[in-house]
Amino acid sequence: MKRYIIALNALLVLTMLLSACGPTATPQIIEKTVVVTQEVIKTVEVTKEVQVLVTPEAEEGALPRNETLYFNGQQWGTVVGWNPYGSGNNNAMAIAAGDNARVPMFETPYLYNMLDGQMYPLLADGPWSWNADMTEITFKIKPAAKWNDGTPVTAEDVAYTWATHVKYNTGTGAGNTPYIQDVVAQDAQTVVIKAVLGENGKALNPLAVAAYVSSNYVAQKAWTQKLEERSGGDATALQADPAEDVAYSGPYHNFFSDDTKVVLIRDDNYWGQDASMWGKLPAPKYLAHIIYKDNAAGSVALAKGEVDVSQQFNSNVNLLWESYGLPISTYLPEAPYGIGASLPTAFYNLNSYGLDQPAVRKAIAMAVDYPTIIANAMTNQSATFDQVPRSLMNPTPGEQALYDHEAVKDLQWAGNDIAGANALLDEAGIVDSDGDGWREYNGQKLSYIATCPNGWSDWQAAIEVVAAAGKKIGIDITTNYPEWSVYQTVVTKSDAPLPEGYDIFMMWSAGAGPTMPWGRIRNLLSSEWVGQASNWSGNWGQYSNPRVDELIVAIPGETDMAKLKEMYTELVEIYLTDIPSFTLMYRPQSFHTVNETVWTNFPNQDDGSNPPVPPLDCTDGWGIACLYNITLVNP
Amino acid sequence: MKAYRKYFLKKLSWFAITFVFAFVLNFTLPRLMPGDPVAAIVARLAQGMSDASGVQAIYQQYSELFGTNKPIYEQFFIYIGNVLRGDFGFSFSQYPRTVADTLKSSIFWTIGLQFPAIIVGWIIGNALGALAAYLKGGFDKVLMPLSIFASNFPAYGMAVIFMVIFGVALEWFPTSGGYGFDLIPEFSWRFIKSVITHYQLPFWSIVVIAIGGQAIGMRSMAIYELNADYVKFARFMGIKDRKIIGYVFRNAMLPQITGLALSIGTMFGGALITEIVFSYPGLGYTLLNGVMGQDYPLISASTLLITLMVLLANFTIEILYGIIDPRIKAAQAD
Repeated sequence: MKRYIIALNALLVLTMLLSACGPTATPQIIEKTVVVTQEVIKTVEVTKEVQVLVTPEAEEGALPRNETLYFNGQQWGTVVGWNPYGSGNNNAMAIAAGDNARVPMFETPYLYNMLDGQMYPLLADGPWSWNADMTEITFKIKPAAKWNDGTPVTAEDVAYTWATHVKYNTGTGAGNTPYIQDVVAQDAQTVVIKAVLGENGKALNPLAVAAYVSSNYVAQKAWTQKLEERSGGDATALQADPAEDVAYSGPYHNFFSDDTKVVLIRDDNYWGQDASMWGKLPAPKYLAHIIYKDNAAGSVALAKGEVDVSQQFNSNVNLLWESYGLPISTYLPEAPYGIGASLPTAFYNLNSYGLDQPAVRKAIAMAVDYPTIIANAMTNQSATFDQVPRSLMNPTPGEQALYDHEAVKDLQWAGNDIAGANALLDEAGIVDSDGDGWREYNGQKLSYIATCPNGWSDWQAAIEVVAAAGKKIGIDITTNYPEWSVYQTVVTKSDAPLPEGYDIFMMWSAGAGPTMPWGRIRNLLSSEWVGQASNWSGNWGQYSNPRVDELIVAIPGETDMAKLKEMYTELVEIYLTDIPSFTLMYRPQSFHTVNETVWTNFPNQDDGSNPPVPPLDCTDGWGIACLYNITLVNP
Repeated sequence: MKAYRKYFLKKLSWFAITFVFAFVLNFTLPRLMPGDPVAAIVARLAQGMSDASGVQAIYQQYSELFGTNKPIYEQFFIYIGNVLRGDFGFSFSQYPRTVADTLKSSIFWTIGLQFPAIIVGWIIGNALGALAAYLKGGFDKVLMPLSIFASNFPAYGMAVIFMVIFGVALEWFPTSGGYGFDLIPEFSWRFIKSVITHYQLPFWSIVVIAIGGQAIGMRSMAIYELNADYVKFARFMGIKDRKIIGYVFRNAMLPQITGLALSIGTMFGGALITEIVFSYPGLGYTLLNGVMGQDYPLISASTLLITLMVLLANFTIEILYGIIDPRIKAAQAD
């Protein structure tokens, strides 16, 4: 009897446990959701809203849902520090200086707007200006601008920040000293940036000097001195300081961070509520970023309404509203859903056998099936090359207007042109002479390895399509995917020819910014990167063309728009003729997908904002204006 | 007692030798991977930098700081110094955090998840396995296929299935994180409840697999023992079933205890993927990131930790064996 009681008990435990694995009808459940029609969709929305109302208000230890804006896709891994001089803070919510600087905590004098290419004053008062000789830029600091301790932000802070970057040779210092000679405070409000001068007595690179005002944070002089003191003048210690006590001028500051999240809290004394800036405080009290381990986890959270603003690649993002009926949207309602800004690019190793022949390079690029890449790798979150023909420009109207479309029309290709590619190769005498199905150049078979980092699934999908194109035109292209740690070491070592296995490889190009498209073109084509032991800039295929170098040097100093357009057009012509690399897709600056369960009125193409608020996750450059525009769905 | 001390010292010296070799390998192996870890750091820092000399400056600075430009034997002595200091040096991928700091914040989550899961899985699995062997018949016929099914499931597969069913479809449990996305850690009922809710899916996805494996092992061992001569002999002697079962399970338990020790020893790397699937803030993800980012000090420290745990677990087991099973002690001491 006892035996049976034991057995019965054990069975009970087992049933309880295994009931877990019992109904494994997962796909069915999902299918049901998929089939839901538009009317039902409304019901889903209502349910979500009710859930939000049910969330208890301001409970101890909790972030009230309707006071918190949740993010994903920016912060990966634990926050290390809050140091505006540091290089390893791994603090994406607070510190991301650059072309579209992230400004919730630290602020730049100006905010760059990637949609209209303009800079709008933040800490600065009115626009900046060059002097008549074009040797220095002058701007003023807003009288209202204050640090969190209530002291005013002054020109001296700007100057001291620069001096510190130079003194301790930070990335910002080292990266800008070739163009900026000094930053000085003329008086309490007036900042003068003195440019390094070129042979003509004018600024050597006016673009880089001007970009400084929107790309770099201003740190407080008093706090910087404190930091210098405790790091004992040691550059490494200064940059490694976690700076929990840092002074900031922005509307948010450090509230909480651990291995699972980072939370910023609003400073209700923020100077920006002054009429001379925003005139009010940003809407959310908290900015919270949960640290998801991968995109899949982030996507699930977005769908569940635990994320409001998503800066990650959500594959097939349109299904979230089309099939699942969730209140999720992107900047554009239709494909490509966002504004393309950077150009993920396939580079040719110009030292590989046969790839020194422009005909071979062009034939491969012409044969590639770009629509498949865009549909598979980007799930249509990229404009096609029929919509935005290839050049060196991203799809923003500002950049597109910089070259003569008619002049390069004959050079552009939209892909899938097998006949054209075959004809091109035949014409160049690169044919299959031994009948094995593969073409030879000077008797040697054309055989290449196309590569990108392992696990970068969108890039791998793209590289597979490139390899398939080769086979269609008689060029043997196989794929290989080394680990990123190996890949990046090899690709960025530009002081020696690339080793075997890196004939065609993928890397990125710069996105939108105040020095673009010049900066991107320089990265893609300038020969100054060839010979660098650690080349993170570009031109990894080691292309060299004196005329291109000449144009790259000349463009920053050119102010005549007609001449500029001429120069850019020439660069596009050269790029599409020489084809040292070719764009595979367009990628947005930030993936900007929003869930409007709690917050609404996010930037979108038809939001009527003027100036337009860019889809940069409510944190970057002029994109931060979003935080002042969003409202609660249920106030 | 003298024999036992001899046995103990002999074991200890063997473990010391193993540790020294493991220590050297822990240091060397990660550094034999192709690729340059500093290049990866520079990649992160150089984003948006317009000038090449700035990038070179950063590269130099970090090579110097991490000592990757020094000869490998010098790096080894630096490593020993760092280990002795207790912080294991700077983590490359999370600089300026030290490795100890990095591990400290995640290790409790992993122990909290893995240790109970291993123990619960082990107890339930062994109980079920022993019962299957003892009861035979229908119970065995149901349990065996289920156990084989569960134990052969990859951990991430089980995790994904649990997540889809209980997290996404039924919405019973949250799908990611160690506690509520809208909470800040504090000592409150709400927070504790949230931690418990978030614990369920990763916990059971590990437990169910462990149960399967343990049940199969225990069942075979118990069946083997049940048919052993001493059992038959004991039955003929008229000894009570209960007493015999006690002997049987004590013998069948020995390999299972080794298994348990090994599970506990390897628990830091064990359910790495389960932690990743549920975005659980444990060591698994830290270690994976360390490997991907060629964070030598972090990899070395993690593997050293695993080595120590395995050695310690094994050592404890060997010593316990001496007590549980006098045959071993006797054989070894000779």
